[in-house]
Amino acid sequence: MPAYHSTFPVDPQADRMVGNVVLLPLRTNFRGPAYQANSDYDIIDECLDLFRANSFFKNFEIKSPADRALIYGILFVNECLSQLRPNTSYNEALKLLTNVALNDFSIPGTPGFPLNNVYSVPVQSHSEMDLLKTYIQQFRQELASRLLERLYRDSQEKPSKFWLAFTRRRFMNKSL
Amino acid sequence: MSYLNNPAIVMDNGTGLTKLGFAGNDSPSWVFPTAIATAQRSTTKQGGSGSGAGQSQGSGNPYFGNSTSATSFNSLASAALLSNNLAGKRGTEDLDFYIGNEALAASQGPSYSLSYPIRHGQVENWDHMERFWENSIFKYLRTEPEDHFFLLTEPPLNPPENREQVAEIFFESFNCAGLYIAVQAVLALAASWTSSKVVDRSLTGTVIDSGDGVTHVIPVAEGYVIGSAIKNIPIAGRDITLFIQSLLRERGEEDTTLRTAERIKQEYCYVCSDIVKEFNKFDRDPQKFAQFIVENSEKTKRKVIDVGYERFLAPEIFFNPEIASSDFLTPLPTVVDQTIQACPIDVRKGLYNNIVLSGGSTMFKDFGRRLQRDLKGIVNNRIALSEHLSGTKSTGVDVQVISHRRQRNAVWFGGSLLAQTAEFKSYCHTKQDYEEIGPEIVRNFSLFNMV
Repeated sequence: MPAYHSTFPVDPQADRMVGNVVLLPLRTNFRGPAYQANSDYDIIDECLDLFRANSFFKNFEIKSPADRALIYGILFVNECLSQLRPNTSYNEALKLLTNVALNDFSIPGTPGFPLNNVYSVPVQSHSEMDLLKTYIQQFRQELASRLLERLYRDSQEKPSKFWLAFTRRRFMNKSL
Repeated sequence: MSYLNNPAIVMDNGTGLTKLGFAGNDSPSWVFPTAIATAQRSTTKQGGSGSGAGQSQGSGNPYFGNSTSATSFNSLASAALLSNNLAGKRGTEDLDFYIGNEALAASQGPSYSLSYPIRHGQVENWDHMERFWENSIFKYLRTEPEDHFFLLTEPPLNPPENREQVAEIFFESFNCAGLYIAVQAVLALAASWTSSKVVDRSLTGTVIDSGDGVTHVIPVAEGYVIGSAIKNIPIAGRDITLFIQSLLRERGEEDTTLRTAERIKQEYCYVCSDIVKEFNKFDRDPQKFAQFIVENSEKTKRKVIDVGYERFLAPEIFFNPEIASSDFLTPLPTVVDQTIQACPIDVRKGLYNNIVLSGGSTMFKDFGRRLQRDLKGIVNNRIALSEHLSGTKSTGVDVQVISHRRQRNAVWFGGSLLAQTAEFKSYCHTKQDYEEIGPEIVRNFSLFNMV
């Protein structure tokens, strides 16, 4: 049984796409271009659910554009975890992760992004790249805030050590 | 002719552990590491100080307890060795050795070196093996070999020369009354007859034997091993232990010794149906996290080790080897399917129908269920495809994995079962046969045809 794939169906004709990246709807209060999700379960929840299982896998076959969003999400969760220490309190972590989410990041297709061979985006089109950038920004903010909920479910003082243990695992041997 | 009434002795020498006992019992009397500690010639002999002279050799002795681990022993430094230290006497260096747990303890000191005479199931060092057997018989079983028949086990594809060597040792050195050498996989099949799921006591089936070092998938048709189809998987007990250790280290637990990882494996691990669902179960139900407490030998310090996802992730490496290794990626159910597909077509149904587990690493809860489910999936997909392509209806293949209570020492138990039957002695080669014909007599043994 190989690694887990995204269950969100994507229709390249009907869904919003930038290159081969799909802009799936999100359930979020952060400002950005994403449509509101109709269901309770969105791609962010899926990233968090599959993060722990998929972290163990080094090979991953992309089956749909939603898998690209999943890869990005899982790698971002890993980056967030690497910022935390075993004794980071909730308030500190909130600050740290907000910064990580908002910090300058490389978007797919640009130099410095580790997985450019699986993402192809129209680099020349400024409007599309702006859309992608703001979408990913929103995606990162929402993912970071929901990750915090899970990390500090049991205690406000320190993050769950069972989650922090995944810091050193590298999904697909890559990190953002 | 007292051997006619005495029970036969069943010896199963595995790579990791040796199982010793008498036929008719339902568990071996002794289980200890197949290890021997011999005196190192270079070091000067310390006189036979008789350090253990006052020690009782009775049931309170820690070395005679049964083992579940081939490499570690609970109270290594806690007790003095038994007093068979004859090194002080002249000309008795050959007798200066220990086997089993005593060997592990002795090798901690400076004057003994430890060796494992069996590698990958086959005897590598005959001299050590002979001394190992000698101690097994005289010090553990305490029997006269003249008075007993012996049932020994061998791995599949053991060369006949090795059998002859065994026969020479048993008939000439030990002068045993009679000998039968059985293939381990066949005995494991026989052991499964105790399960209620088994209806016909046939010797056809697929044996999955997973010990400490390697996992074998062995097809057996009517008592004969199909040698060309045997497959090995380099994932077994030790890999699971190492994987648990790496998970404990990643989490920064207080105690991450191999011993702790092994205990966690034995006490807490189980097989789940789906790892993502199982992660979520842990989120919903914190009761699933466990704690394991390590105490030092004086019971003054305690370390509390949290046990988390490794409970289900560790055995998962059989079904998803990718999570722990980078070079071997085929899941166990796929390997079993490939093994059976490599067998003659007329026995395949029987092989799918009777998949028998054996060895300590198959003891995880729900191991058999998961294997059966995954294998059924593979088989049904293939049947659907062939039905689609040929347009005919298949009668279907029944996949059945059999778990039973004797799984841990299945090979030994199967031997005990066969050796207690009245016919057993007629299948053995006796000392007389050996003297008449010679060692090549053991190249063939007739099969048990049990009905």
